Amino acid sequence: MRIYRRPNHFLQNVQVVAVGSSYLVQSAAYKMQASRARLFKEYKEVQREKSADPDIQLVCDDSNIFKWTALIKGPSETPYEAGVFQLAFSVPEQYPLQPPQVRFLTKIFHPNVHFKTGEICLDILKNAWSPAWTLQSVCRAIIALMAHPEPDSPLNCDSGNLLRSGDIRGFQSMARMYTNLAAMPKKG
Amino acid sequence: MSKRVLCKFYSHGACLKGENCEFSHDWKDPANNVCTFYQKGVCSYGSRCRYEHVKVSRSQPCATSSSAVTLQYSGSFPATNSSRNAASGGTPVADTNRELLASSRSFFPANNPAWNEISVLPQSLDDIYTRESGTANPAELVMCSFAAAGNCPRGEKCPHIHGDLCPTCGKHCLHPSRLEEREEHAKMCQKRKNHLEALKRSQEIECCVCLERVLSKPTAAERKFGLLSECDHPFCVSCIRNWRSSSPISGMDVNSALRACPICRKLSYFVIPSVIWYATKEEKQEIVDSYKIKLRSIDCKHFDFGEGSCPFGTSCFYKHAYRDGRLEEVDLRHLGAEDGVTVIAKDIRLSDFLNSLRLSTYVLYIKYYGLITPAIAASALHTSSVGDYLFTAQLQYQVAYLVGYVMERIMCLGRKTNFIKYAAAECDFFIRFK
Repeated sequence: MRIYRRPNHFLQNVQVVAVGSSYLVQSAAYKMQASRARLFKEYKEVQREKSADPDIQLVCDDSNIFKWTALIKGPSETPYEAGVFQLAFSVPEQYPLQPPQVRFLTKIFHPNVHFKTGEICLDILKNAWSPAWTLQSVCRAIIALMAHPEPDSPLNCDSGNLLRSGDIRGFQSMARMYTNLAAMPKKG
Repeated sequence: MSKRVLCKFYSHGACLKGENCEFSHDWKDPANNVCTFYQKGVCSYGSRCRYEHVKVSRSQPCATSSSAVTLQYSGSFPATNSSRNAASGGTPVADTNRELLASSRSFFPANNPAWNEISVLPQSLDDIYTRESGTANPAELVMCSFAAAGNCPRGEKCPHIHGDLCPTCGKHCLHPSRLEEREEHAKMCQKRKNHLEALKRSQEIECCVCLERVLSKPTAAERKFGLLSECDHPFCVSCIRNWRSSSPISGMDVNSALRACPICRKLSYFVIPSVIWYATKEEKQEIVDSYKIKLRSIDCKHFDFGEGSCPFGTSCFYKHAYRDGRLEEVDLRHLGAEDGVTVIAKDIRLSDFLNSLRLSTYVLYIKYYGLITPAIAASALHTSSVGDYLFTAQLQYQVAYLVGYVMERIMCLGRKTNFIKYAAAECDFFIRFK
């Protein structure tokens, strides 16, 4: 903003406006900065400990730090074993005060994952979110959810009903089939 | 000897003159805060000057200014002077006059005739040294300032005494025979050392929200820890406050999510800002207490000297005082409910009840029967709702009656008529509001 050398009271008003607007810009920029700084920290952490958790491979989008993808391995002794599932993270600007939006890009037959959209029903991604969670720990929570499905709050009713009716075998064969169909890494 | 003005060297930690200092070594005495430039007529800082801009009259000695002290010297010298000059012999006038000149030069213009008479200055520095080394009392010996600062170039040959080594700060600044000063210095030194150590320990600690080191944040305001009252997880004060004040996502419970520690989910009711991180429970308690004491001295902006009302009531950390300095006194109204639970009554508004009650079906009853019966009102207590039902004018009174009855039941108070009156007034407001 330009400040003209005019009568004194006018000058003061202009200055007040300038100060006010720059403050607003600053606070908005600050929030943006905070989420960016935190994501950058997480990025460095991921780079440093790449080999720490072989089940999770977290990659940041080249041009946008608010978009991440992750490849997670299906936990052993579950129908998802040997499958590799792709997750898409969309991080809000208010991160870490607000949870990232996560969905499965790979088809998965799981009571708490929407079969079509890949949306995940997990309390820590909704009302139990806390800023102490990181993208890495969210991935770990999703792996835990795959190992321990919660059929009482299903997003995939078919799979939930199978589990609730006690047809463990039916559920497992369905889940294994979809894992084989969609989540098997291409050989060669 | 006048001891009314606090010695600035003493206030910074060590005065080499000890008990022979012209200035007071008592913390209760006021410091000299008079701007010397203002005395001369011009202070370029103007109103921003951190020293006091008062005119010190030369004819009437003022209690708080050191110019008054120097004036006293010039008047009744050397009767008021210290015993040191008497003991040292030689030319005591020259010695003190030099000091006087040094301290008074800033107060008075150099062309002041009163000071022109004194022109007896010591020949050389060695002159002073040789004179002072003959002093009888060891407590009055002057300490070497070079040694106190770390290293004296004269070494063994120095005419001043070299102080003992202070174990905490590692400087030769303990006078061998001034016991009070030694203790004072040791205390200050220990305190400073503890603070520094705590600061060093805190350097490495990271905030769990922004994942950065708290004390390495870019701005000074951010370089503070926010301690939670109930658990020991470290955060920046800005991060934890942002999180606690962020708007809850739908379905999020404020107490179990936002007000809880992000890591252990333990509910804490307040955040304490602190520059250092604590190592023990006692240290934390000390930080919390000093924070509370500080807030106690600040007037609550909600209370506004009795003109406003503070939502925190008696639990508020800030001061609730009226304009005349009187503190607020509160009698809490305890209401005993039927089931033996005691609640503290604050401002009770009818809308609180209307939100929790569901009345709409009973409003319909009233419409059909034209009159409210106690049976309807009693059942209204259990399941009923004020929906989007359009209130008509003739219904208003009956709803008011119903609500009055309901409130009477809730409050277990026998004054039916009053409540109905209040209820009618509030209902009127409520309906217009809708």
